[in-house]
Amino acid sequence: MKKKFTLLLFALSTAFVFAQTTNVKGVVKDAVTGETLPGVSVLIKGTSIGTETDFDGVFTLSNVKQGAILVFDYLGKKSKEVPVTSATINISLEDAAEALEEIVVIGYGTQRKKEVTGAVTVISSATIDDIKPTRIEQALQGQVAGVNITTSSGSPGAAANIRIRGVSTNGDSRPLILLDGRVIEDLSVVNPSDIESINILKDATAGIYGVRAANGVILVTTKTGRKATPFKSSLNMYVGFQQTTREIPLLNATEYALLANEAFAANGEALPFASIAGLGQGTNWQKNVFETAPMFSIDYSLNKGTEKSTFSLGLSVLDQDGIVGGSKSNFNRRNIRFNFDTELTDKLKLSTSTIFTNTNKKNLIENVLGSVLFNALNMPPTTPVYATDGQFSLPPATGTGIEVANPLAQVDIADNRSWVNKISGSYGLNYSFLDNFSFETRIQLNFASSKSNAFNPIANFGNGSVFNNFVTSFSQSEQNYFDYTFDNFIKYEKTFNDKHDVKVLLGHSIFKTIGRFMKGITSFASGTNMNDVSIGGPLNETSDALLIHLQRNRGSNLLYDSRLLSYFARFQYGYDGKYLISAVIRRDGSTVFGSKNKFGYFPTASLGWVASEEDFLKDNKVINFLKFRASYGIVGNDRIRAFGFLSLLDGEGEYVFNNTLQNGVAFGGVANPEIRWEKQLPLDFGLDIELFNKINITADYFKKVTEDLLVQPQTSGIIGVAAPGASAPFVNAGTVENKGFEFSIGYKEIISDDFKFNVNYNFTTLKNNVTFVGNSTGFIEGGEFGVGQGFPSRMEAGFPIGYFYGLKTNGIFQTQAEVDAHATQTNAAPGDLRFEDISGPDGIPDGKITDDDRTYIGDPIADLTMGLNLSFNYKNFDFNAYAFASIGNEIVRNYERNLPKTNRATYFLDRWTGPGTSNSFPRVTTGATSNNLFSDFYVEDGSFLRLQSVQLGYTLGETFTKKIEFDSVRFYFTASNLFTLTKYKGYDPTASNGAPIGGGIDQGFYPSPKTFLFGINVNF
Amino acid sequence: MIKNIKTYLIFALTISLVYSCDEFVDVQPTAENSEDYFNTEQDYQKALIGAYDLLQSTYLNVMLGEIASDNTLSGGESATDVPGIQEVDDMIHTPVNAQLRDIWSWMYAGVNRANYILEFKDKTDFAGKNEILAQATFLRAYYYFELVKWFGDVPLAVDKRIQFGEQFNIDRTPKADVYAQIELDLIYAAENLPYVQSEPGRVTKGAAQALLGKAYLYQNKFNEAAVVLDDLIAKGPYDLLTDYNLIFEEAGENNIESVFEVQYFDGQGAGFGCLQCSEGNVAVGFSGVRAYTAIPDSAGDIFTSGFSFNVPVKEVVDAFQVGDLRKNVAILDIEAWATATGITYGTGYEHTGYFNRKYIPRKRSSNAQGDRNLTNPNNYRAIRFADVLLMAAEANNRKPSPDDNKARTYLNRVRERAFGNALNNISSSGTTLTENILQERRVELVGEGHRFFDLVRTGKAAQEINGFVAGKHELFPIPAIEIQLAGGRWSQNPNY
Repeated sequence: MKKKFTLLLFALSTAFVFAQTTNVKGVVKDAVTGETLPGVSVLIKGTSIGTETDFDGVFTLSNVKQGAILVFDYLGKKSKEVPVTSATINISLEDAAEALEEIVVIGYGTQRKKEVTGAVTVISSATIDDIKPTRIEQALQGQVAGVNITTSSGSPGAAANIRIRGVSTNGDSRPLILLDGRVIEDLSVVNPSDIESINILKDATAGIYGVRAANGVILVTTKTGRKATPFKSSLNMYVGFQQTTREIPLLNATEYALLANEAFAANGEALPFASIAGLGQGTNWQKNVFETAPMFSIDYSLNKGTEKSTFSLGLSVLDQDGIVGGSKSNFNRRNIRFNFDTELTDKLKLSTSTIFTNTNKKNLIENVLGSVLFNALNMPPTTPVYATDGQFSLPPATGTGIEVANPLAQVDIADNRSWVNKISGSYGLNYSFLDNFSFETRIQLNFASSKSNAFNPIANFGNGSVFNNFVTSFSQSEQNYFDYTFDNFIKYEKTFNDKHDVKVLLGHSIFKTIGRFMKGITSFASGTNMNDVSIGGPLNETSDALLIHLQRNRGSNLLYDSRLLSYFARFQYGYDGKYLISAVIRRDGSTVFGSKNKFGYFPTASLGWVASEEDFLKDNKVINFLKFRASYGIVGNDRIRAFGFLSLLDGEGEYVFNNTLQNGVAFGGVANPEIRWEKQLPLDFGLDIELFNKINITADYFKKVTEDLLVQPQTSGIIGVAAPGASAPFVNAGTVENKGFEFSIGYKEIISDDFKFNVNYNFTTLKNNVTFVGNSTGFIEGGEFGVGQGFPSRMEAGFPIGYFYGLKTNGIFQTQAEVDAHATQTNAAPGDLRFEDISGPDGIPDGKITDDDRTYIGDPIADLTMGLNLSFNYKNFDFNAYAFASIGNEIVRNYERNLPKTNRATYFLDRWTGPGTSNSFPRVTTGATSNNLFSDFYVEDGSFLRLQSVQLGYTLGETFTKKIEFDSVRFYFTASNLFTLTKYKGYDPTASNGAPIGGGIDQGFYPSPKTFLFGINVNF
Repeated sequence: MIKNIKTYLIFALTISLVYSCDEFVDVQPTAENSEDYFNTEQDYQKALIGAYDLLQSTYLNVMLGEIASDNTLSGGESATDVPGIQEVDDMIHTPVNAQLRDIWSWMYAGVNRANYILEFKDKTDFAGKNEILAQATFLRAYYYFELVKWFGDVPLAVDKRIQFGEQFNIDRTPKADVYAQIELDLIYAAENLPYVQSEPGRVTKGAAQALLGKAYLYQNKFNEAAVVLDDLIAKGPYDLLTDYNLIFEEAGENNIESVFEVQYFDGQGAGFGCLQCSEGNVAVGFSGVRAYTAIPDSAGDIFTSGFSFNVPVKEVVDAFQVGDLRKNVAILDIEAWATATGITYGTGYEHTGYFNRKYIPRKRSSNAQGDRNLTNPNNYRAIRFADVLLMAAEANNRKPSPDDNKARTYLNRVRERAFGNALNNISSSGTTLTENILQERRVELVGEGHRFFDLVRTGKAAQEINGFVAGKHELFPIPAIEIQLAGGRWSQNPNY
């Protein structure tokens, strides 16, 4: 295969020969200011031969064919094409209608935005500068139509979930992220200031990445310097603080005791609080848990360009404490970036990018039953923080369960740290030959070493508490990951007869990633903290999943070795800048699949028609630009469990003889040899318009059908799937459809030299529908609600993926007569929720409230999301505000433990206390009641509007700046996450773990903090 | 320079050609492929340990069997604490019950692991292989015996795993046929195993004989039961331990009275997410006194706390005769205990004041790890010699030509230990003796998970258990989802 391909290339290349040539020289100037422009790219059209202007705006090109066309490109300027008619070409460049001249990265190459045939969105460094995100995902949220970001937690350094055009799989729906060509799983290692642009491939255009493209592709490009520029430094610094956005109003001690008494009395039990006098307000656990936490960031970059080379150095430090636990949930990132590009010869270019990142993170228990915030909500306010002996007090002996603990004691005991050192590099050589050809070879690699330490001293959180430690233990683990991507591709670019623009790309790529587990010890230890620990006593492996894994893989500590072998070809053709076509085919082989389905072919195609180039629209006063686009194809998703096609002995087979643990073997996941990748068929129709040189509109209709979803359905227990370490097989048995409409509009106005403004608005509608689940039950379950209850979320044909499945309520029983008249409902009494009798075992209402009555009661997928970005500059002031909204998403309130003595929110004050008192909020009782069952009582409207960021900046006057020999000095103040309008009762309506089935369930979510930052940017 | 470039290009192309072979994406898994196993004796031994593993998950069968009976209430924290357990206690369980599904799935996991070894029994030969196979057949019989006890007719697989896809083709096998296989497996095990194994916890000839006798008894095959149990009593190395209390303490593990004992330990933690993965006895933590707190080193500092499930009712406490030394071993009267020792405790749902003292958490060793409520080290004495004696007594008393003399001898051997003298010996015969034996089983074995099944097999369940409907509750329902997942072809047990 490969040999033929190489031969073909050389055959092609010999077909073109040199024509008559000349040497060209010229100066490039700014059309408005008349200043010379250094670093302008000058390229012979249809080839990759070119140069850049020097410090004085001068360029020289040798051996240019007569009649060739030179293309002049400069960021922010309108590109200009000039035919070579003489040896001297002096030109001036005008300011660009930016959006169209923008360079878009489309995978193994770039393209001018106006020639792009796919649905691609670009986020520039300017946007990132405006938002000052601590994580890059924040710069995408609400800014890009079709991209939805949810955070898995508001804690410092927590990961964000990126979803492009909906949830297209029940499995891993993370997009492929490439940083200068290398795969990164986690954007947290990148300093936002280092980013030049982010390109998001949302449709079949992503098909150039074949089996990995189904969830969309995000291409991140880091900053490189500009040629022929002197040393330029930029220093950005901010300091600020963070606060919680909200405290949930809870009962104070007196209210709590009254309600507890009422609940015990309702069940005929003795009152827990004989007297409520003197209880007063009691402990406000939230006040004790939340704190104002500092953060700061500083980054410095240095750029320099010579005639042949550019280099760029970036250094940054970010340090952030948490609003819960302060320094106990600290996140710290240090980053060094170095990019160096040079022309080794006229034809050979070297480009390099190296990033070193060090992150440190400390963790508290969060977002689960028993997390610090969950406990702040559920600890009785009658319990003081400290007992009389000065120790942290314990919850009452009974009535609060085993997960509710003193949250401050939890914070106090937390002593852990995980740190990651990562070196990530991208090195490429580009060689131009025979005028129209270029060959590029790139090696891109990541090496990461991740370590974590945890010290767990002896601790008592109360009787039977799940958090009790009976021995001091210390654990340490280290994992190393290495991956590389090796790409080789040849491009052929030529324009025939000035009209036929042909680009051909043939390439080959291999990817390999391995993970190694280095060490894992948990032992009886002594000492007082992580830094002062001595390890003694017998070594014991714990139930830590990692350690079990190590144990199962005794003799080999290789965690995984996953590889990809790919060939790809792209053909692009443009006729006269009007008719554009692009076709891609990729063949991928992946270690994830068995021999039957190891290789797959992924074809995609896209079309574009630039109507504004047609005679009837040319020079139209209103419509400056109009393009219609369409794309379709097949792309894949290979993010599934490795070796699902083999039955491996990786289950847990352990037994005890002679009081000693014996390790045996057992099969793990049940195999399915037929397993294959998920196949997606993305369809997109879009248009781009520019009106009055001021308004840019992009609209897209998309419909993505993902077939062959890998589902792990419930499987009959008789095949052994419930054994320790075993699991049900994955089968390709599901189809989900996402369709919607994306619209974005930007309006830019320069009213005067002093006043400019810019508004961008976008919205996305999304309808998600599962059309097929091919297992015997017809659904797949997931998620968690309460304790010991069934799964609250489902994937089922006819419903959105991960919809909430529970009982439907119909008010509150007011009287016993109403209870008697209703379908039989276990333990029902006046004051309890009345559930609707929707069905029975055979599908018809049976007069009994059972699990059969569960139905659709909401879903976590927003119907509509939108973002608005407003910025203006007035004299030396600049202002930017940005808001986004999500409408039609439901959220499950699951932060209430609902035990006899746990605390409750003040909305319980509106409970039913007798006939007519409430028809929405049930009575309180400690007796058996069905009120705790998962029903729409716990499902709330999670729609929200959030003012994400407001920034006001002031740039010092030029005269003053010059005097102190700086290029520019700007001060700014930013307030983030200032307010959120929502009806949701919990902390944060964005709470979601991001799981396709089981997302949107709030277990006491760590809210995204409100931050206030003061910063300075200095360029010199 | 140009030369270097060309060299590099050739190099890069060569590299890419080398890597272009499709074999690049053939990678060996880090774990062994289950189809290429059983190449050494050690492979068989390791797979056998995997088959033993599921014995530990029978904690649920024991606890739920006890709760289903008239001995205990479900208890727990509240009326909705583990609804599946609460329903079984009240005999209102339906085909939708998570705990019943666990029992079903876990026992089949055990069956499949035993069958995995037997599927490959001929692959590699070595000395002593029969002993390994015999342990495997015993384990298969043990798991199947649980399945027929709980669910009646169940799909039977012999010497092969039930593979993915086959769940749609396999029918429920009549109970009698399952029992026939259990008998074959146990006879094979008894023939190929020694009475004494060097490693405590391994299956022995005695264990196979005792379980065989029990399987006969459950089928009312009293002659066959009497033969095998008499042989075991006469030839086996077992005896009653003088001190009844010692049996259930750590020091009494794998004692002379222990015919078969499920092994647990506390050196590895566990989580609620995978209770069947625990190496500890989960039932013990569930049965413990809620919020039990003792002053260190005081007299009460011998127990620790638990989740207050499985609480004995007054009726079973009163079933002990005056002078029965077993009462204070089997039952912890928490109020009296608190008064005597100064411990404090909390009350859970359906608090009766009594706890199943045989299997509540003891004070933990300093080596104990993990979640202590889920990883108690108390071995489950699955078949005690006292049980064997009582089964033998019953078999001899109920066989077509009864031998009540022998039956009384066996019974009184148990009673003499219980009272520390012969003054309370039984002298009855016939059906009165049958009643005496069954009553003795209740008090001797209280808290050990046998009572419900004894009541069912002797036809007394409906009269003793509140809510028990004859013709329905003798069997538990097959989990509805399991019927569905097997293609919906199995009929449900009667009246569910």
